[in-house]
Amino acid sequence: MKALAIGSALTVLLAPGTAGASALKPDGGVVNLTWETMWSGPTLLLLKQMTTAFNASHPGIRVTEENIPSATGDAKLQSQIAAGDPPDIFTEWNPVIGEYAAKGYILNMNTYLTGAYKGFVKWMYPLAAATGTYKGELVGVPMSLNSWALYYNKSIMKAAGIMSPPTTLAQLTADQAKEWIIKGGKLSQIGMYPGANGYQYFSTFFGALNCFNSAGQYDYANTKTCPGATALMNWLTDFKSYPYAQVNSMNATYGAVAGGDDDPFVAGKEGFNMDGPWEGAQNIPDANPSMEGNFGVIPFPGTVGGPSTIGQGNFNIIPEGASNSKDAFEFITWLAGYNNVKFTSNIDPQGGWVPAGPQIAAAPAYQAYVKKFPWMTTYLEQMSSKYSQAPVLTTNQEQANTAMATASNDVQDGSMSPAAALKYIDTQANASS
Amino acid sequence: MSNALRSPDAKVPNRALKAARSAQRRQIRTGLLFVSPWVLGFLAFFLYPFFATLYYSFTDYSGLGAAHLIGFANYWALFHDSLFRTSLFNTFYYTAVELPLSTIVALGLALLLNMKVKGMAFYRTIFYIPSIVPIVASCMVFVWIFNPTNGVMNSLLSNLHVPGPDWFFSVSWSKPSFILLGLWGLGQPMVIYLAALQGVPKDMYEVASLEGAGPWHRLRHVTLPMISPIILFNVVLQLVVCVSYFTQAQVIESQDVGGPGTSTWFYVQYLYTQAFQFLKFGYSSAMGFFLFVITAIITTVLLKSSSRWVYYAGDDR
Repeated sequence: MKALAIGSALTVLLAPGTAGASALKPDGGVVNLTWETMWSGPTLLLLKQMTTAFNASHPGIRVTEENIPSATGDAKLQSQIAAGDPPDIFTEWNPVIGEYAAKGYILNMNTYLTGAYKGFVKWMYPLAAATGTYKGELVGVPMSLNSWALYYNKSIMKAAGIMSPPTTLAQLTADQAKEWIIKGGKLSQIGMYPGANGYQYFSTFFGALNCFNSAGQYDYANTKTCPGATALMNWLTDFKSYPYAQVNSMNATYGAVAGGDDDPFVAGKEGFNMDGPWEGAQNIPDANPSMEGNFGVIPFPGTVGGPSTIGQGNFNIIPEGASNSKDAFEFITWLAGYNNVKFTSNIDPQGGWVPAGPQIAAAPAYQAYVKKFPWMTTYLEQMSSKYSQAPVLTTNQEQANTAMATASNDVQDGSMSPAAALKYIDTQANASS
Repeated sequence: MSNALRSPDAKVPNRALKAARSAQRRQIRTGLLFVSPWVLGFLAFFLYPFFATLYYSFTDYSGLGAAHLIGFANYWALFHDSLFRTSLFNTFYYTAVELPLSTIVALGLALLLNMKVKGMAFYRTIFYIPSIVPIVASCMVFVWIFNPTNGVMNSLLSNLHVPGPDWFFSVSWSKPSFILLGLWGLGQPMVIYLAALQGVPKDMYEVASLEGAGPWHRLRHVTLPMISPIILFNVVLQLVVCVSYFTQAQVIESQDVGGPGTSTWFYVQYLYTQAFQFLKFGYSSAMGFFLFVITAIITTVLLKSSSRWVYYAGDDR
């Protein structure tokens, strides 16, 4: 009897617990979907609006959104997939999608591009579709797209004696130099500082993205086939005379307040900043309304001949092992705005998001948003620009991005030469296990 | 067997022997049952992961699907990976400075807190509290304190006309900044040293004083030898903490992973990045096993050297 009691206690102790999200079986004919995201703050209210609207318009499907911390989100998703208990949908940052697709973590959605969804890929901006495609397979559907343009502070420009925004790279470099204020070794105003994102986000402006050799390996150090990479790194060295540490600490200081909505540009302490539409549509109104009316947005005056941006954003993926992948696909295309233009054209402005397709941009609600923020036109034009590029999704994309961030910082703080930095990117990005 | 053993008198010892053996077996079974939770936990959460890590270190494994054996390729790749060498250097730099410093500071604090002064309970509480502050919170506070532009530290230094460094944002000051952060949370080793100090027999100090030993001699020849086993224990614990340094760097460098010029890219950070960001579980397993071997070697050397400087009560020395 005693042994039985102890044995039972041990069984209870050792019984495997269940954790994580699970796609639930149909419940009275209703398919339950779990959608995991890593957002925080006001965006969660938008997600709630979306799931409520979808559930109301799709009685056979019930979506539940679960919010997980971004610091551990990837590890959690990987654990869930390995355990065979993944969510039905996961919103992920696009750089990791290539790795996930290459290693079988996420589904190829081409099988669902039939019937009503046959025209889905063509419906999107080509840049949006390309950013979510791995070797011809659609693996990610855009949830919110990023586009990058140059913000300028009007009063700082005026104080520096600059009459109009720069139209060439040389002009920008010279103009921003006039805007730095460093007194007694203390930084109080930044002209412009590309920072860790220097290579990645500026790459398309120099034609320095997607440099591969014939074997499919990253080849940024090749000055013949990828001269833009050298040009970009040489431009970044122009910033090594500025106090790297103080700039980073200023960024960190402002970033730690206002829930991350603040940065030196929002605070009126930076002359030029490259950022997405959320800077003007959300960050400035939320964190420093006095900056409204004191900034403008122009395409970055790159060297490629026209406005451009790198394809980026948050994409919805369907993990391997998801139980209701077809219904999940229906949900994520609805979120992108396919067959749902009216609703999405109202939601995207609230998130400061660039739409996934031109139909949404042309819708009355989005047009009203563009009328309110005329500089949104810059972002929309870049989505259709022939100079814009999506990074080719590869198995080692995350390694490449991490190496680019390190190399960008090291070039700007003077600890690496441009040539060494490009070689470093290639070496790290091409490393295999 | 002779008939003498089959006599009725001889049956009693056999039965008693059997009963004794049966009782012994019962005792063993009961003992095993009570330690089984620990044993199962040890097998599931230590032994299995240990051997699994060793196995995966010889594979190409993305965390999903089958792991493909690739021999020593991961280990070969480690030695050609500049970031691996950087992270190893950063970690051992941190360990080489933090370990002796933390030992000296924790022991010094314990010696001070072992004195009989008024309000000692208050002082002990004050010095222990930092060790129970959540790591993430303490990191955020330190980032503010060490802010090069507006931080308290540089403001104090500027009042003394000393130019403050860029702390976490400087290539040369980033590791010292983490070392200072580590020294702030020494409450736990300090408490262990304090307990050890209180276990040193008072009469030994009396005898030493009578023999004319001053405070320094009493420290060197009575206190330190008597608490040397605890010093060894704390040093080994701190060694493991130092080589597996991760959380603080990951929190503070969230915007600039690896720190300025990769000066604070620590080993476990890189291991974590390889596993969960690059999905290279085989490579990160090789890194993990390499770290285990290095740590085991250092610990073995430490333990072997302990016969020269650790005194156990009852030893002949």
